[in-house]
Amino acid sequence: MPKKIQYENELDAPLFRPIYETGKGFYITVGILMLIILWALIMYITQIWFGLGVTGMNQTITWGFYIINFVFFIGISHAGTLISAILRLSRAEWRRPITRMAEVITAIVLAIGGLHPILDLGRPDRVLNIFTSGRLQSPLLWDVTSITAYFTASTVYLYLPMIPDIAKLRDKGGKLTWFYSFLSWGWQGTEHQKKVLNRAISILMIMVIPIAISVHTVISYIFSMTLQPGWHSTIFGPYFVVGAIFSGIAVLLILMIVSRKVFHLEDYLKKIHFQYLSTLLLIMALLWFYFTFSEFLTGIFGSEPHEMEIIHYKFTGPYALFFWGMLLLNFIIPVIILSIKRFKTITGILIASIAVVIGMWLERLNIVVPSLANPRMELPIGIYIPSLVEWSLFLGGIAVFILGFVLFSKFFPLISIWEIEEGREEGIKEVEERVHSYLPGKETGSK
Amino acid sequence: MPKWAMVIDLDKCTGCGDCIAACKLENNIAIVSPEEANDGRVMFWMDMITIYEGEYPNIRVKRFPKPCFHCDNPPCTKVCPVNATYKNEEGLIGQIYHRCIGCRYCMVACPYTAKVFNWLEPEWPDEFKNCFNPDVSLRMMGVVEKCSFCAHRLLKVKEDADSDEREILDNEYLPACSESCPANAIDFGDLENKESRVYNLSRSSRAYREMEDLGTEPKVIYLQKRE
Amino acid sequence: MEIKRREFLKLLGGVSGAVAIGTYGCNQVIDVPERLIELAKKGLGIETWKNTICGQCPAGCGIKVRLVDDIPVYIKGNPLYPVNQGGMCPSGHSALEVLFNPDRIKEPLKRIGIPGSNKWEPLSWEEALQKIADFLIKQRRNNKSHQVAFLDGSEQNSLMSEHIAQFMKAYGSPNYYQYPSVKNDSVPYLLLQGTQQIPSYDFLNTKYVLSFGSNFLEEGYSPIYYTKLYTHLKELTEKKRTRFVQIDSRMSLTAINADRWIPIRPGTYGALALGVAYILIREELYDNEFVSKHTFGFEDWVDNEGYTHLGFKSNVIGNYYPEQVSKITGVPGETILEIARELGNNKPSLVLGDQGSADNTNGTYSQMAIHSLNALLGNFGKEGGLYFTDQPPLAELPRVQEDELAVKGNSQPPIGCTYNTSFKIMDFSINSFTKNILSDNPYPVSVLFLYKGNPLFNALNHHDLAEALKKIPLVISFDSFLTETSEYADIILPDHTFLEKWDEYSNIPSVGFNHVGIQQPVIEPLFDTRNSANILIELGDKIGGTVSGSLPFENFEKEIKFRVEKIYRSGEGAIISEGLKGDWLEYLQQRGWQVGRYNSFDEFWKLITKHGGWWNPIKKEKGIKNIFKTSSGKFEFYSQLLKEWTDELVLMKGNDSHQNRELVLSELNINARGDQVYLPHYEAVPVDEHMPLYLTTYKLLTNRNGQSSNQPMMQEMFGYTSHQSWNTWAEIHPATAKDYGISNEDYIWVESSTGSIKLKAIVNPVVMPNVVAIPFGLGHTSFGRYAKGHGVNPNSVMKNLYDSLNGNPALQATKITISLAT
Repeated sequence: MPKKIQYENELDAPLFRPIYETGKGFYITVGILMLIILWALIMYITQIWFGLGVTGMNQTITWGFYIINFVFFIGISHAGTLISAILRLSRAEWRRPITRMAEVITAIVLAIGGLHPILDLGRPDRVLNIFTSGRLQSPLLWDVTSITAYFTASTVYLYLPMIPDIAKLRDKGGKLTWFYSFLSWGWQGTEHQKKVLNRAISILMIMVIPIAISVHTVISYIFSMTLQPGWHSTIFGPYFVVGAIFSGIAVLLILMIVSRKVFHLEDYLKKIHFQYLSTLLLIMALLWFYFTFSEFLTGIFGSEPHEMEIIHYKFTGPYALFFWGMLLLNFIIPVIILSIKRFKTITGILIASIAVVIGMWLERLNIVVPSLANPRMELPIGIYIPSLVEWSLFLGGIAVFILGFVLFSKFFPLISIWEIEEGREEGIKEVEERVHSYLPGKETGSK
Repeated sequence: MPKWAMVIDLDKCTGCGDCIAACKLENNIAIVSPEEANDGRVMFWMDMITIYEGEYPNIRVKRFPKPCFHCDNPPCTKVCPVNATYKNEEGLIGQIYHRCIGCRYCMVACPYTAKVFNWLEPEWPDEFKNCFNPDVSLRMMGVVEKCSFCAHRLLKVKEDADSDEREILDNEYLPACSESCPANAIDFGDLENKESRVYNLSRSSRAYREMEDLGTEPKVIYLQKRE
Repeated sequence: MEIKRREFLKLLGGVSGAVAIGTYGCNQVIDVPERLIELAKKGLGIETWKNTICGQCPAGCGIKVRLVDDIPVYIKGNPLYPVNQGGMCPSGHSALEVLFNPDRIKEPLKRIGIPGSNKWEPLSWEEALQKIADFLIKQRRNNKSHQVAFLDGSEQNSLMSEHIAQFMKAYGSPNYYQYPSVKNDSVPYLLLQGTQQIPSYDFLNTKYVLSFGSNFLEEGYSPIYYTKLYTHLKELTEKKRTRFVQIDSRMSLTAINADRWIPIRPGTYGALALGVAYILIREELYDNEFVSKHTFGFEDWVDNEGYTHLGFKSNVIGNYYPEQVSKITGVPGETILEIARELGNNKPSLVLGDQGSADNTNGTYSQMAIHSLNALLGNFGKEGGLYFTDQPPLAELPRVQEDELAVKGNSQPPIGCTYNTSFKIMDFSINSFTKNILSDNPYPVSVLFLYKGNPLFNALNHHDLAEALKKIPLVISFDSFLTETSEYADIILPDHTFLEKWDEYSNIPSVGFNHVGIQQPVIEPLFDTRNSANILIELGDKIGGTVSGSLPFENFEKEIKFRVEKIYRSGEGAIISEGLKGDWLEYLQQRGWQVGRYNSFDEFWKLITKHGGWWNPIKKEKGIKNIFKTSSGKFEFYSQLLKEWTDELVLMKGNDSHQNRELVLSELNINARGDQVYLPHYEAVPVDEHMPLYLTTYKLLTNRNGQSSNQPMMQEMFGYTSHQSWNTWAEIHPATAKDYGISNEDYIWVESSTGSIKLKAIVNPVVMPNVVAIPFGLGHTSFGRYAKGHGVNPNSVMKNLYDSLNGNPALQATKITISLAT
């Protein structure tokens, strides 16, 4: 008879509860997700067997869902580590309940996103050719490099701050003690260890920021390094990064709101957290709009014929629905909801975030397909209708993401317990000292 | 080192489509099913672009054959992650079918949409398998392919020239389209050879290249009189 | 890197390499056939080349076939063959797909079940031939030899047609017909000049070419020959550059490459030609000397009985002034003025007409009007004009021995035309043929041989023709495939495909010099098929007597050899070989022609089969008196031949009364009366006036007469200009499309009074407003897996109308309406 693990008397009991109590909801969710993933796997096997012909891609539109989703998923990864690193760097105290979830999102979604180019390959059996005869001059290989670097960095950056929490779980006992003790690396909470840990985290958080920015910049280079109208734009690097952070924050917000509800974390994820984060979302919305506006104003003013074809295709042509929909979802709805105090409730933020996620996916669609559908040479305008396989793999990707998150919540605390403790014990004092140092008067506290 | 280029005289070309058929036959290009063709997955290495200009009834129809332009500054080779498409010293842009991983980046990068992809496994009825051209390898599903200026013919011609210890003569190496064109509209040869037809035609006042301002330096030169 | 690439390419170059590497990956292995693997391993990859003549269409281009280890792998044009000089059209390249087609008939078949049931059982050659021979012998014995008919769809002037004619005459039947028939097409020239031959045009020396619907780069008798001429002209300097103007309802391939396209309402070419004649006459731009010396019927004239007859000039001046013509044709008056003046002021200038102007109920009259322009311009017997080639010095086949039964049979009226209301000039009318069979008039048909062609697919009277085929007790088809027509056959005796058989082609219509091409097998027959010519020889042997005696050669190859021997003995021309390029022509002409360098006929035969043909580019100078073979010895604007035969028809009805003449003319659907009937004039096409749009069809180079539909490469390339594959489409002008609410790539219904079809609409301005252009060739219900079920057949909605003077089907006479398909 396994000993029942005691956690109720812990101050942060709600954070331990999801790990030790498994409700029916968990099993149902995991079950459904596994079914979806199984279906996606079957569809992928048909693609391997029959070839990429099972998708809706054709002669001029040779990139479709897989590349769109690739960019989309990698984009979401930005929020996590980037937000967590920036907030840590700027020593914002309100980051404490958010960082863990953010880092988890990054790790999972990078893995999914990183796999997508392989899904897109015509010959996935030859993927190792990248290493045997790779050309570093190709933007795709820059991608491979930077995503690998980012994945490594963010996994480590996820793992390191988890060590104290894993140690806590190890100390609680139970079936998985061997697992936790292996992962906790002998953490005992000594001063020396804490120092080393903090040092490591500081180094990483600085390193991670340029790597993260490079990832999405490099992904934008895949497009901007070609000569295609609508892609060959110098603004793509920052544009993609802004878009990525934008979508990442939205996904983070959604997950925070959902976990808050499901795991009863109202005490930890308070309204103020959402206010701050959604303000960031609003800023990103405005920034995104600024970049989009610049892009199209330059294009329309220049009136270069090929460029204009694509702009017409987006504005008034077959993709008008997707383009204006994107503007509605990415700019109008979030700005209205998030700037008017009355609407800025949790529900409102949820709606805004969902709108942004869909809008950002539409943005990727609007980048990839119209330029390909309107080739420079006088060929008929392409038509792309994604097939069942592509939709299935898209849903599969999302299912893997959610499953990863759910499984993580089963084995590790979603909110960093030791950081909350640290916040309680040291945070308030530190902040007080800092504020004092801003105000005129004697210098107090150490540097 | 020779630099192979093609000159297509649009004033002579009638748009009959023989170059397309000759290329398909010579290079064992797969024929896709009618449903696939309807989805826009037909594989033509030599394509025919039709442009309508002017108002009815003074319409001018420009039909021009478009093979791969074998650019001297190719956007496609820059982006291939595995070096499956590359430029050799003689100016031909090659495609290594057995190395291609099918990422289709080169297809997306080419501003001339010169490359085609094998979306499905190419299939032929047993009977047609008897008449493949044995000089050209068959492609498999999931790889990109494109006009090669019939490079397999160059190899043969080189062997002949080597065994006779002489240089390759002008017009000895001709791709299938150039050889077959009933209007003699497609010339092919070495731009480095100042006496070749191609060199002289490339300096004609009628010569132009497609989208030269992109800087790709295509080596297919079109001749058309500006009215 | 260099070495690696070479090795790679070496591996890739060999088939065995492809097999080894083909197993890479988790996908299916590339399925390389056993035979090829065997050859790749054991075979040395020896490359050989053989020359033959392409049989994909009647144009007869010379081809060079590349064989590796005796398997044909590539086809290109024969650079030495003078008709195409190395060029080819797209169809030629897919010839291998005919040879290796999975739907080929591999042995003789006998039908079980009702006609069209498509159930067959195999038959041995002996059985099949014996059965047919027995039936033929029985027919002969019962004095019914004339009830045997032979329909030849090859459209070719080859030895095969003479061979068949020989057989039929010896057997005793007058019923050997070609459908489509070049003889029918040349009726206008017969009426005006007395020569039943398609003229050749001296493009190289002419300054201006006005083409009335003649799509010579795409649909003509020999598109590649004209493409070569056309290219030659483009190579000349500015000063000598010939100007091409194309008059057509749609912008055909020829119109696209012309200097100017003039859109015209379908069926009104004749009126336009006469409008141009009006200007030429009025502004005195015509060749007065030629007209006064060598034409008959230009001015009004008085005949032997004192009656005044209308002349061409008065007819034109009275009836075809530009405003009138403009109303009829839709061509603006200034344009008529322009082209007429250009035509008149840029002599030598040529006028051509075909396809668009010929394929209509008023085709013959339109062609006559168009050809009269050539007479006005004096284009005969001079450089830059038109001329008729002689026949090459081929040996005549030994004279047919007719026994009593044959003589009786041959004297019966031919069943291919309605003998009391059609002209003897008409070679064949599918409409009359069908009607006669259905009504047993003047006698039933008991045996029908079908060689090449697919009349049931092309015919406008599809339903009636099917009934007629069902009625005939023994239908024998020589087809290599199961087509719509051969499905109605009782016995199929599959012919070789053209890459496996012997034949000899000479003087393709409209090619400007004598030539003979030898079609020879490049590969042993793949299946148990036989050359149809040899089958006829065998049947002849079985029937015995004079029939066997009239086909004395052991096999067709020997027959061809016999024919060619006379060329050797004549010493004329030369076998095509390296030195005879275009420029040589003039040089040699100036210096005389030295031939006869062959030591023996065997050497000659070896060389001619090695290179593929023979030609004689030197034209014999003919005096004008020898050109016109009419009763007046001149070019007859007023066709006395036409009058003669009309008179004959009138007399067949009784006496030469006004009523009888009215009867004859109305039976012939001729609206004109009096002298106009025998002059070139405009006959309105009887269209359905309540239908708003005209339907015009055309044939593409990738498909020709529907015969390339079973080749997947051609099906894929079918509409490469509009990016349509395996599919028929309708081209509509943007203004018309807007009227009907149709956008590009919408599906529409095209409806005529006889039926409707559904197809895709392509909206572009290369067709006249209110005209819908649909390519012909798809819409098969048979003909193998690649042809069946793709596209639609525009002939299926056409009205059953014919040109009553020459029997050709009227392909441009139907009016339609369109609507968006929901």
